[in-house]
Amino acid sequence: MEELSELKRQVEKDQTTSSKHDAQKGKYMTFKSGHEYFGLEIQYVNEIIQLQTITAIPETEDYIKGLINLRGKVIPVIDVRLRFKQEPFEYNDRTCIIVINIKSMVVGLIIEKIAEVVEIKEENILPPPTLGRVDKAHHKYVYGIGKVGDEVKLLLDPDKLLNDEDLSVVEQANEMNNDEG
Amino acid sequence: MAEEFSTDGMLDIYLFENSQLLEQLQDMVLEQKDEECFDEDSINEIFRTMHTIKGSSGIMMFDEITTVAHKLEDVFYYLRESHPQNVPHLELVDHVLEVADFISNEMEKIQNGDPADGEVGEIVARLDVFLEKIKSNADAGEEKPPENKHEEPKQFYISPVATSASRFYKIYIHFFEGTEMANVHAYKAVYALKEIAEDLLYSPEDIISDPSSAETIIKEGFKILLQAQCGEEEIRQIIGVGYDIEKVDVFECKAEEFLQGFDFGEQDDAPVIDLDSSVEEIEAQTQGTEDGEKAEEKKPAKPAIAPGDFVIKSKDPGKQRKLAKDKPKSDKASYISVNIGKMDQLMELIGELVISESVVLQNPDLKVPGLNLDNFNKAASQLSKIATDLQNVIMSMRMVPLTNTFQKMNRIVFDVSRKLGKDIDFVMVGEQTEVDRNIIEHISDPLMHIVRNSVDHGIESKEERVESGKPEKGKVTLSAKTEAGKVWICVEDDGAGLDRDKIIAKARKQGLLDDNKPDSEYTDKEVFQFITLPGFSTNEVVTEYSGRGVGMDVVVQNIQKIGGSLEIESEKGFGSIMSLKIPLTLAIIDGIVMEIGTSSFVIETGAIKEFVRVNEEMMIHEPDGEEYVMIRGECFPVLRLGEWFELNNYRESVEEGVMLILEVDEKKVCLFVDKLIGEQEIVVKPIPSYIKKVKGLSGCTQLGDGSIALILDAAGLIE
Repeated sequence: MEELSELKRQVEKDQTTSSKHDAQKGKYMTFKSGHEYFGLEIQYVNEIIQLQTITAIPETEDYIKGLINLRGKVIPVIDVRLRFKQEPFEYNDRTCIIVINIKSMVVGLIIEKIAEVVEIKEENILPPPTLGRVDKAHHKYVYGIGKVGDEVKLLLDPDKLLNDEDLSVVEQANEMNNDEG
Repeated sequence: MAEEFSTDGMLDIYLFENSQLLEQLQDMVLEQKDEECFDEDSINEIFRTMHTIKGSSGIMMFDEITTVAHKLEDVFYYLRESHPQNVPHLELVDHVLEVADFISNEMEKIQNGDPADGEVGEIVARLDVFLEKIKSNADAGEEKPPENKHEEPKQFYISPVATSASRFYKIYIHFFEGTEMANVHAYKAVYALKEIAEDLLYSPEDIISDPSSAETIIKEGFKILLQAQCGEEEIRQIIGVGYDIEKVDVFECKAEEFLQGFDFGEQDDAPVIDLDSSVEEIEAQTQGTEDGEKAEEKKPAKPAIAPGDFVIKSKDPGKQRKLAKDKPKSDKASYISVNIGKMDQLMELIGELVISESVVLQNPDLKVPGLNLDNFNKAASQLSKIATDLQNVIMSMRMVPLTNTFQKMNRIVFDVSRKLGKDIDFVMVGEQTEVDRNIIEHISDPLMHIVRNSVDHGIESKEERVESGKPEKGKVTLSAKTEAGKVWICVEDDGAGLDRDKIIAKARKQGLLDDNKPDSEYTDKEVFQFITLPGFSTNEVVTEYSGRGVGMDVVVQNIQKIGGSLEIESEKGFGSIMSLKIPLTLAIIDGIVMEIGTSSFVIETGAIKEFVRVNEEMMIHEPDGEEYVMIRGECFPVLRLGEWFELNNYRESVEEGVMLILEVDEKKVCLFVDKLIGEQEIVVKPIPSYIKKVKGLSGCTQLGDGSIALILDAAGLIE
């Protein structure tokens, strides 16, 4: 767990010392899911928390695992592996939840293992190849491939990750927001 | 730099204040719509409201609003000053409402970020015509001489602040000839006297805005009537003999003389000045009117006083100071307006507090045997008490009386009935009933629709009413009451009622009825429910207000959204009653916590009729898998929550679990769950919008141990 708290500190430091958008630019939170490493732009990341009790919601897609209680706020969590239509995995003490905030929607992502915060310069980001290792399911959520040394990270578009292909969900969410508003 | 001047914050306040003013204005106008004319207080109030709106709109540079408010202000200025007879009251009411509507519309546009682009030309023209009309009416009619008012003894009203220690003075100030702007100097004296004055009158009256008064003051002297508790010397000191004042004469006089006003000036309408205006403001106004004077000259009936800077009606000096100065202040002192977002935040925080309180008090650490918890328990009970109180306070803060909503309905009845030429007596009962703020938002539209329906095709035309032996004047009653944790809002009319046969015929045509079932087998309730279906309207003629068949279904949908229901009662020829049954609050409800497998669920206590343990013999199994249970000779459909939601590890045998009989709108169902945990107050939270709506769930909540339970929606389950 030391690894995790170190990372947390790093994320927090990055966010507090430089609340400016520019300073966060080019920094990515990376994590492992399946065999690949993925990266999320750090400006979307609110925090990283340990796995908590999840309350399942009936009649939802299987990748939506349910609701967690984040200090009094109820947020939905989704399993990234299942979202990518990969085999489910057993949750263990390395499993954690990345809480992201997209367009003021707060969602938790369950991931197998958190990696590190890396800086990827724009020239090191390639558009995803049309053929190759990345299969089709990834394609929609991956908007680029970042090179860090010898490794590659698949950079995720969080908006698509949550919403793409599930147009009905988006519409419903909008509808509900409208109702509330 | 000027461009950087931001009006955002001001805009909010502008919109907020003006919408409140308009609301009050409407209430007032509607309250007196059936009178012969507005009483003087209302005329003053409308006048002041328009003046305020004019002023603030001017600052915000909404020229159209300014123009129209100014015009209406002119009309009321005339009414106030000249007391014209023969004013067509209803027409006046129409004009006021028209202006109020226009301004509300513009403000809505502004609020939505659209440009306020309404055209005022027409309204202004109409108001001009109206003003001319009442003026000529007044001329034609016998003009009441102002002396009349002097003779009415009740107008000699002794100021409530006057005590036996009060003394009355006549003060004459003479200025040197050639003093410039003597009127402003005179005002300075008035301003200074304000500190000690219990009451104050002066002549000439319009020193602030009429620069020509300066000449009068120099020629005839400036006369002040003062009621105060101090001595003559003090007054002299306060006025002070400046370089411009030649002489100050102070004479003490009797109260009667004082109340008779200026016998020397023959001024009937000497206004009392708004003592809060500073000298600088007055000077500015003097300048302003000088420019505008030429234009004003054409209208002799309208003196060139800048309206609104005066408090009017000098006939009863004591009273109007009370009206103008004391009343609004005391009102403002007891209310502040709070940002709704902050209220919601507070509400949420208190919800959190209630939850964390139970987290602390039910903490498993406390269950270690052998602990001495006496002191802890004492402190804990104190904490619970405060938390409960806090919760009650915030709930009561969010409770708003229905008055405003009802007033809006009043307006609708007025509008619709006038357009349709129906004479309607609108009665409101129990408008003080309080409801949570977010519920009020939701019922306003449905209620409006129902009321409109009642007036439009509930109440018959005058001729029809007379024919059927009813009084010509229709009656619509809007009532509200609290009963059994619910609010009932009823709209009752004594109109034609619903035509059962017509509805049945229409339902047959639309294929809604079972062909094999005779009409008579349908209960009234069932029949009337048809009118809440989409596209169902028996009204052949589509009017401006209703009859398009969209409406009742939307009403019902909106009410169901907040957990309410609509009941319809009606008797043909005698009228109908539409009753809305809505919950008091949405935020905190009493709920029963239960467990199915490993999941916790909560259901609103109100929906549960009873808990029963059943055994296998009471069950009836249908071949297609449907299950029923016989309880005391009644047969209920069974809903196994575990199966319904496809949960894990739920109990199969009915003997191991508990049956809950749920009742919503007289439909009953038996809900089978594993076990009951207990009853508690729960803070309802919405399920995050990312997750699509699941039928049978209405929200979620946090339990004492911090875990999340889903809230069941009884109505959804029964469907």
